[in-house]
Amino acid sequence: HQVILLLRHFFCKSFAHTIKERIERWKIQAYEKYPKGQSRGRWKHLKQILQAENFQDCPPHEPNYVNIESPPSTQPCKRICDITGYEAPYVDPRTNLRYANSQVFKAVRSLSAEQVQQYLSIRNAAVVLK
Amino acid sequence: RPITYSGADDDGRRQNRRKLSMPFVSRIRRQTDYNVFPSSIPIVIDNGASYFRIGWAGETEPRVVFRNIVQRPRHKATGETVTIVGDQDPALMKYFDCTRSGPRSAFDSNVVYQFELMEYILDFAFDRLGANGSVIDHPILITECVCNPVQSRSKMAELLFETYGVPAVAFGVDAAFSYKYNQLHGLCKKDGIVVCPGFTTTHAIPFVDGEPVYKGSCRTNIGGYHVTDYLKQLLSLKYPFHSSRFTWEKAEDLKLEHGYIAPDYASEVRKFQEGTKEAEEKTRYWQLPWIPPPVEVPPSEEEIARKAAIREKQGQRLREMAEAKRSSKINEMENELRSLRFLVNQLDQVEEDDIPSFLSDTGYASRQELESTVSKVTQSLRKARGEPKEEPDESEENTDSLNNEKYPLMNVPDNMLTPEQLKDKRRQIFLKTTTEGRLRARQKRNEEELEKERRIQLEEERRRENPEFYLEEMRAQYKEVLERVDQKKRLKTNGSNTNGNQKTGGVGRGERLSAAQRERMRLLTTAAFDRGKGEDTFGSRDEDWQLYKLMSKDHDEDDEQPDSDEAELARLSSRLQEIDPTFVMKAEEESNQTSGEAQRVRPLTEEDYKIVIGVERFRCPEILFHPNLVGIEQVGLDEMGGASIRRLPHDDGELEERLTSSILMTGGCSLTPGMKERLESGMRMIRPCGSTIHVVRAMDPELDAWRGASAFAADLNFLRNAFTKVDYYGKGEDWLRRYQIRYNNL
Repeated sequence: HQVILLLRHFFCKSFAHTIKERIERWKIQAYEKYPKGQSRGRWKHLKQILQAENFQDCPPHEPNYVNIESPPSTQPCKRICDITGYEAPYVDPRTNLRYANSQVFKAVRSLSAEQVQQYLSIRNAAVVLK
Repeated sequence: RPITYSGADDDGRRQNRRKLSMPFVSRIRRQTDYNVFPSSIPIVIDNGASYFRIGWAGETEPRVVFRNIVQRPRHKATGETVTIVGDQDPALMKYFDCTRSGPRSAFDSNVVYQFELMEYILDFAFDRLGANGSVIDHPILITECVCNPVQSRSKMAELLFETYGVPAVAFGVDAAFSYKYNQLHGLCKKDGIVVCPGFTTTHAIPFVDGEPVYKGSCRTNIGGYHVTDYLKQLLSLKYPFHSSRFTWEKAEDLKLEHGYIAPDYASEVRKFQEGTKEAEEKTRYWQLPWIPPPVEVPPSEEEIARKAAIREKQGQRLREMAEAKRSSKINEMENELRSLRFLVNQLDQVEEDDIPSFLSDTGYASRQELESTVSKVTQSLRKARGEPKEEPDESEENTDSLNNEKYPLMNVPDNMLTPEQLKDKRRQIFLKTTTEGRLRARQKRNEEELEKERRIQLEEERRRENPEFYLEEMRAQYKEVLERVDQKKRLKTNGSNTNGNQKTGGVGRGERLSAAQRERMRLLTTAAFDRGKGEDTFGSRDEDWQLYKLMSKDHDEDDEQPDSDEAELARLSSRLQEIDPTFVMKAEEESNQTSGEAQRVRPLTEEDYKIVIGVERFRCPEILFHPNLVGIEQVGLDEMGGASIRRLPHDDGELEERLTSSILMTGGCSLTPGMKERLESGMRMIRPCGSTIHVVRAMDPELDAWRGASAFAADLNFLRNAFTKVDYYGKGEDWLRRYQIRYNNL
């Protein structure tokens, strides 16, 4: 059987309640409703929610969550150096990092593999092994 | 697992519930006037991914505002799990063990999906508002995202109806409320666009005739969260040593304080690249606490003098001791010499025949022995007295005579000797050659030294004659040798420095092999060559196993002998350093160390503890306008306006004019300085020339949404827009999907 613990706080300056209704807080506590083992797997993530919605069945002219996503940009992509933030006309073929000039290139070549992957993952360009 | 409530003690005692007193874990005070409000006054909630705001309808300020996160750490002493909603109070956190409980949000992107957390949050919020029961008897207006999926909406409605017993619920979009509120105050007209960069998403919603047209809205999945995350990652990678310092909260603080949007990214970044003064002013430095290591105070003059005096005294003492010893030895030897001489004299006086018996007393076998002993003792006495060594020609004479004495058998031909004597002779030959060899080596060394001296003198002379020219020559020589050394090094490492973690020294496509690598390949192939059975004789000789040594990678590095070039380089550079005031030694590149290690080699200075935030200041908020920079393939803020206008179902050019002349920026991110100008110029770029663009920021981007909602709820017609429990259960999901409130009441 569960022993329900409720913690109350005693504040030093007690507030004087003019009308104090002693309503029993007979609310079922949240943690009872969602016992620990189940709560994690219970909630559907956004992707699953959207899948379940079956937006394909809806008429296309009605706005829904998926409809209103922005289109990809039509402007030319801005290429900035991964390390310094300057404009980067060059790409290192070995690591796929963008760099701005030869000093930055030296720095790029001296990075460890882990750092390289971290820089790339900022740009969503890291190598992901599935 | 208890829930913590902080607030005044509620006297409700019930059975089966143990009360524990605990320090309170929230700084938000509990509101006291809950009961003043009648049941018809709605409660207004702005449920945002960043902050949760709740208050009463009709007021201008929300009563309770907190960060929309939940943590459930365990109390260290009692082991019970408590729930903390909103920002934690650091003073109290020490009571809790937070290792297994990170802050969790009920949101996934901008949609609520974790209703357990939502319930904790609502519990806390209602309690802070003053509610003292589990039934909230007021209608509720709650905000949601644009086109909220019906599942999330229905779960939220269910939560409110079932758990809290709310009579009526209404859902609205926060950006729309903000726009209506600002329209009320005249900042924007009834046709316009609201651009709302939020915490995880950015929306652009057009308004026609005061109502939002969701068909034309668009949403990019970038927001303040991504900006902060970007800043955090950049700083952690730039300063890996301090990466533990860059928490998400700290990054957010930095962003709020220093972030700004450059009117044009390319030109701004060029300023920084060139290092102009303007860039210097815009760079911010964050100095981390750093204690310099205790500097050894160079000993003062008195210290040095004192130490020198002590050392001298010790030296003196030692010298005295040595003197004493020497003099005693000299005395002894003199005594011995005297006695020996006396013996010799006595011997002279004695007859031949009596010599053996006479000598047997003294211990010497014959007269020659005695005489040789005498000479030896005189020699050592002379040495002890410190007389100068004999002249070289004398020593040669001596060596000759010594030779004859030491190696008496040398000059005797072989056939006259016995086998033993032959052995002796061989030994003597050996000794002689070794001593002669040593002498020769010493002579050669002397000659070389003389040679070097002469060369140095020559150089000095040349320098004095023509200093400039000489310097030039030196420099040219140095450069030449440096190039040679560099090239050799490059060849050796094959142009691959330590990205060779990825493809370690291996042969990739198009990689040229250095000589060493070629050699190794050859060895490997010959060793692996299958000669068929019976023909493999590897291992029969011991030298075969040396192959493995040659094959190993370390062999390459061991093989490096100090090249003559490198020695030359060292000599030249030291010479140049002496005579040339402007010479700076070119530091050798540590090609084999990763950047982290190379920096740790030199002692850490104060500079290392200074975090420089220059380009990052405007690079991070730039992603709002260019989500490509973080890999999100969608339009940025400026193009979103254009995209939303394109999506509107109309063909009215005038409408577009009206839309662009009233653009409102709302949402927390729009507080970044420089956004207004950038958005304006961005819109101008994509709109036809000459169209009116007018961008205005909401009066209070963070709170306007709540204020708009509050004004909406205070309206008498609010209840027409809300739906009750009966409606909810009666009308079904489809109706709920199409449910929208009409904003034009405001």
